Formats: sequence, C-alpha cells, structure tokens
Amino acid sequence: MDLLPSDDQTQIVDTIKSFLAGEAPVDRLREHGAIGNPDAALWPKLGELGFLGLGLAEELGGIGLSASEEMLVFREFGYHLVSIGIFGIVLGARVAAVAGDDALRDELLTGARRVGIANPRGAAAGPGPDAQDYHLFEAADASLVLLVDEQGAGLLAREDFVDIESVHSTDSVLTLERARLAADKPRLWVARSADNIHSRALMLLGAYAVGLGEGARDMAVDYAKIREQFGKPIGAFQAIKHICADMAMRSEAALCQASFASLVMADGLPDTDFHAVASKIVATEVAMKNAAANIQVHGAFGFTSEANAHHYLKRAHVADLLWGSLREQRERILTFPTPA
Amino acid sequence: MNLDFTAEDKIFREEARDWLQANVFKERRPHGGEAMRAYDLAWQKCQYDAGWAGVSWPKEYGGMGLDLTRQLIWYEEYARAHAPDNHLCFVGLNHGGPTLIARGDEAQKRTHLRPILAGEKIWCQGFSEPNAGSDLGALRTRAVIDGDELVITGSKIWTSHGHLSDMQELLVRTDPDAPKHKGISWVIFDMKTPGLELRPIEIMTAPNHTHFVQCFYDEARVPLANVVGGLNNGWSVAMSTLGFERGTAQIKDQIRYAFLVEQMIERARARYGSEYITHDELGSRLAQLRADMAAARAMTYMVVSRAQHDIGGSLASLMRAMVGDVQQRVRRLAFDIIGADALENPEDDDWVYFYLRSYAQTIAAGTSQIQRNIIGERVLGLPR
Ligand SMILES: Cc1cc2nc3c(=O)[nH]c(=O)nc-3n(C[C@H](O)[C@H](O)[C@H](O)COP(=O)(O)OP(=O)(O)OC[C@H]3O[C@@H](n4cnc5c(N)ncnc54)[C@H](O)[C@@H]3O)c2cc1C
Repeated sequence: MDLLPSDDQTQIVDTIKSFLAGEAPVDRLREHGAIGNPDAALWPKLGELGFLGLGLAEELGGIGLSASEEMLVFREFGYHLVSIGIFGIVLGARVAAVAGDDALRDELLTGARRVGIANPRGAAAGPGPDAQDYHLFEAADASLVLLVDEQGAGLLAREDFVDIESVHSTDSVLTLERARLAADKPRLWVARSADNIHSRALMLLGAYAVGLGEGARDMAVDYAKIREQFGKPIGAFQAIKHICADMAMRSEAALCQASFASLVMADGLPDTDFHAVASKIVATEVAMKNAAANIQVHGAFGFTSEANAHHYLKRAHVADLLWGSLREQRERILTFPTPA
Repeated sequence: MNLDFTAEDKIFREEARDWLQANVFKERRPHGGEAMRAYDLAWQKCQYDAGWAGVSWPKEYGGMGLDLTRQLIWYEEYARAHAPDNHLCFVGLNHGGPTLIARGDEAQKRTHLRPILAGEKIWCQGFSEPNAGSDLGALRTRAVIDGDELVITGSKIWTSHGHLSDMQELLVRTDPDAPKHKGISWVIFDMKTPGLELRPIEIMTAPNHTHFVQCFYDEARVPLANVVGGLNNGWSVAMSTLGFERGTAQIKDQIRYAFLVEQMIERARARYGSEYITHDELGSRLAQLRADMAAARAMTYMVVSRAQHDIGGSLASLMRAMVGDVQQRVRRLAFDIIGADALENPEDDDWVYFYLRSYAQTIAAGTSQIQRNIIGERVLGLPR
C-alpha cells in the first residue's frame, strides 16, 4: 500500500507540469479575456505526448496506464485551469473506443477534434427547465458533444441539439450555450455495464478540483509572503496564516481521497462508485472554499479581473455543477452500502 | 501508487480479524475510576498474552517487530471489531513507549517497555503547567541535581489519568540559565515517589468523572538514570513524542470514526426513516461526513505512506488539525440525531458523553490554533 506516486508516475507528473507551465500559464486567461478559451490549441500537443489516451487500455488504442495516472494528470489540468473541454476529448475517446468506432477514437486521440460537454440544466419534473434542457460547454466549435449520466456515456453530434443559444458564461473563459436535446439516443453509447465512464468522470473531476484548490492555495500563500502591510508580510498575521493553513489542510484531504478513489477504480473494487462520489464531494467543496479564501487573502486585488483569483472560483463552481452538484452528490452518497 | 497488500499482510489481516472477533471485550468500558483502569489493563494484557501487543515495537521488548503497514492493518481490524479504546494505555503505547524506543538507553528500554505492552503499567504525560500550555517551552518545574538524583519541585496540570497512573513522562527544567528550549530534560517519573501530591480536576462531561489531575512536586527525588536522551536534551526528546501523538497514533481513531458515521446513518434511518433523512439537513450533513470520513481514512493511508518513505514531520499536522475538526462535527451530528432525548445523559448511551468530550479534540495535544501556526510556518513557509 502506498498513496505516493511511484518514480514512473512522478516522471509523468513532471512532464505534464513542465508542459503546462510553458504552454498554459494561468496568466493566459487574463490575456485572452472573455472571448472563449484558447486551450483548444493544446489538444493536438497533448495528443502527441500521449496524454489524451493515458488511461485507455492498449488494446483500445490507448497508452494503457491506470486510473491513478489519469488522476494525477487531471489534477495538473485543474491546477492550470485547463479548459474542461479536456474531459470531452479524453472521455469522448473512451466512448468511441469502447463502442468500437476505432476511426473516431484515433482521431480524438490526436487532439484534432474538439468535443463539447452536455450537462443537464433541469429536473425530470417541475415547471423549470426539463430533462431535455442542457448546457453545452466548449461546444461552439465542436462537432461532437459528450453526455454522461448514471446509466452510461455517449457521444452526440452538435446537430442532435436544437434551439442552441449562446449565453454569457459565469466562467467567462469557457463558452456556454443553452440547447434542447432532440435526438432519441446518442450516436455512440456505452452502458455502465460495459465501462463505468460516469464514475470515471466524477473521479477525474474530483482530481481536477483538487488541482483547482491547490492552485488557489499556492496563489494565496505566495501572495501572503510578498504583500506587506503594517511593516511585515501579511502571512505573518495569524488571521491570514490560519486561512492559508486551512487551505492546505483541505487540499491534503482532497488529494488523499482523490488518490484513494483512483486506486479503488484501478483495482476494480466494489466501492469504486462510492469513492468517486466521495472524491467529487470533498474536492469540489475544497475548490470552492479555497477559491473564496484566495480572494480574501488578496484584498481588493483579488476582487479584480486583473488577478487570477476569480478564475479559480468560477471554475470551482463549474466543477461543482457538472455531472451533479454537491446537493445531488450528497443525496447519492447515502444510497451506497457501507464501504469496505 | 497502489493499494496492494502482500500475501503475508493478508494472512496477518485474517488472523487479526479472527482473533479480535473471538476476544474483544464485550462489556462496556467504564467511564472512570479504578474500574476503568482494571478494564484497560485487562484488555491490554489479553492482547499481549495472545501475542498481539506492540505490532510495530521491536521484538526484544515484547513487540511484534512488524512494519507500519501491519500496524495500519491491525488498527483497521481493531476498529472494525469495535475493540474498546483503552485510553489509559494511550500515553504508554503512543508517547512514552515510542520515545523510549527512539531515545532511551538499554536499561530504560528493558525496564519500562514490556510492562507497557503487558498491561502492567499505566503511563501519563506531565508536560503542561499552569503557565505553560501552548507555550510549552516556558515550563518552570525545577529539577536540581543532588548526587545521582534529581530533586523536583513545581507543578504540572491537565495530567490525564494521573491519579490512575504508575509512571509519568515528565518535562522539567534542569538548567534555568540556558535559553528557554535548551535547559529542559525528559524524565521517567514513578507516581509513587514521595513528595508528589495530586489534586483531581473534574471535566465538563459529567459531574462525577475525574479525567485529569494537577500534580504538585515537593522535592520529589528521581534517579538521574531516569533522564531520557541526555540532560538538557528534553525539548528534542519531547518533540519526537509529540510527533507520534500527531501522526500515526491517530490512525485507529480515524477508522473508528468512519465506522461511527455508518452507525449514525443507521440510527438516523431507524429514527426518522430513510426517505426523510435523504432530503433533510441531517441527511446532507451525514452525506458530507460520509465523504469526509472517506477522505480522513485516505489521509491515514497517506501518513503511513509518507512514514514508509521517511517523509512526514510537520506534514502530519495537516491530518491532526483536519481530524480534530471533523471529529467534532461527527460528535455534534450524533448529538443532533438523538433529537430532544440528547438532553438526557443516560449511562448506557455514549453519544452525549462523547459529544461533550469532543470539545477537547481541538485543545489537547496542541490546540487547533497551534496546529495552524505549525502548518503555516513549517509546511507553507509563511513568516513568523
Ligand atoms: C482533555 C485534555 C487532556 C489533556 N491531557 C494532558 C496530559 O495528559 N498531559 C499534559 O501535559 N497536558 C495535557 N493537556 C493539556 C494540553 O496539552 C493543553 O491544554 C494545550 O497544550 C493548550 O494549553 P492551555 O490549555 O494552557 O491553553 P493556552 O495555551 O492558554 O491557550 C488558550 C487559547 O489561546 C490560544 N493560543 C495560545 N497561544 C497561541 C498562539 N501562539 N497563537 C494562537 N493562539 C494561541 C490557544 O489556541 C487557545 O485557544 C490536556 C488537555 C485536555 C483538554
């Protein structure tokens, strides 16, 4: 038993870290402003480096590593606020692979094609938006859209949606649209019995949220060391120091759970769903709390769009609302039997 | 990164599970007094006699000489079997003993380690003083060398179970002229030494439960040979002890709490109905705790993983500080699940008692504020 990355895993982490530090510094979002996300340019490069098929079995055209390597890499994606379009491609390629569309799978693994994400807006009943109403993330330039729910995961064409309407996204660096699902069924569909993509999505989103929380934590700690008031760095004040300590404690809990959840999944253990949900609950809560704390530590600067603090907050809310919010996940986690 | 246990680990787990299932004490543990002492010693002796005490302690001192992974497995099975928490043995098993193993001389190890494991001696901790709590380095209890003895005068306070203990790990000032942290020594103190007087202090859980005492030392004499780790080295010896308390010693508790949350879910369902709690605030808190306990358990795995790679140190504060808060939330929720009946404090129900006790979780063994100072300064590198 060992929750720390092996040497091989550390090498993978170092590779993706230095790639993202060079190609996707968080400052890119500030330069880009509110016009959409520049990260699609990363996909072909990530494809070339093998990161898009990392956790996909070799016989399915992937690199053949486990859920743990995928977890570690998605943590770095979160840390660098990489567009959530990355979920569309990685999970979309898995759908294509398991459904047996090898041509599409290979195309997706090169990063040549974008895949948006459909997320339900409404409930099955009630006067508000209904079960056919979706948000489409990062789908404006995508011909394919990924849909994941408890039953399975599928790929749809953009044309399978009607009444598409572009809306301002709270997370302004992501494109967002409203749409109605018009197709009876996805073009490609993988039932959960064939491959549990839903739990993988939650687990990876948990890992991504771990990275968000850590990014916010590090930004706050760095600032607390250099910003001076009353003649000393603000990090010397306990009120600030303890906020930072809380961020570190929460991040540790979220990272440990994400690591554990990935291992349970990699080993195919019966508690896979439970730990994936637990990881999403813990990590998205941490991402939201750390993001809020980071704004506070930065004072007025944290309230501006010139600091990057707001990006962590907005992305944390996206992570929360994607594939079932904290409220829904809490209801769900009570339905599992006692974990081993 | 892996969750693999070796074949031997698995056999160890099965044997531990079987033994615990057959031997765990079924009677409820008394909340205080000699009855509690007798119970805790008997349960410790039962484990020792069957060869299950001191999983990671060296064999030559009565332990099993196994690695931390086995220790983790033992704790997991221990909690799963609902084995009693023999808290009186805590200081001996988790501070005194490990400190002697790390820093004691051969004679000290030979004399003191086996009786701890065998359920013969209870140890207590004499660190805090009326004017030295969080600022432990400010301690003033004096020890003057007289021939081959130390003559101790002063007072310790908040000594848990001091009135039920045989031995004490005692911090004294042996060089009053040295800088604060330099003149301290760590001493093995026999609680039967003449010159020691105890004053019981009642705690907030119930009127008749004495948990800790104040100790008054009036020229109490201890052999110099009882100094551990060298004269005036007490601070560094004490820090290794606190390291144990803040790290691996928490593992068993973590796992126990995860099981407790499961029990709470059962009880809430029985009392209010499954459907109701799912949509109620109680359900939402239970759900969050269920996830948090999974994370807390993963944190214990991380502590063991780090220890195996010889990293850790101040990182253990992350878990310690986190679990203090989480455990308080668990106890508060347990209290809330009982509903109005929580205003009764019945003898046969631990939940109210432990709710009240949980207020100590963020004070004892370094307050949560001190833990956050440590995290801020030593883990994150923030300025003092
Ligand atoms: C149930 C229980 C059992 C105990 N058992 C033992 C035992 O067996 N042996 C033993 O030696 N001791 C024992 N203790 C004592 C324990 O170690 C001390 O209570 C603890 O170290 C805090 O010291 P204090 O109580 O004097 O509080 P203080 O140090 O007076 O603290 C009071 C408040 O001030 C805060 N504070 C103090 N300094 C700082 C700072 N620098 N920055 C921010 N906040 C600060 C604290 O966090 C706390 O909230 C026990 C305590 C409890 C509650």
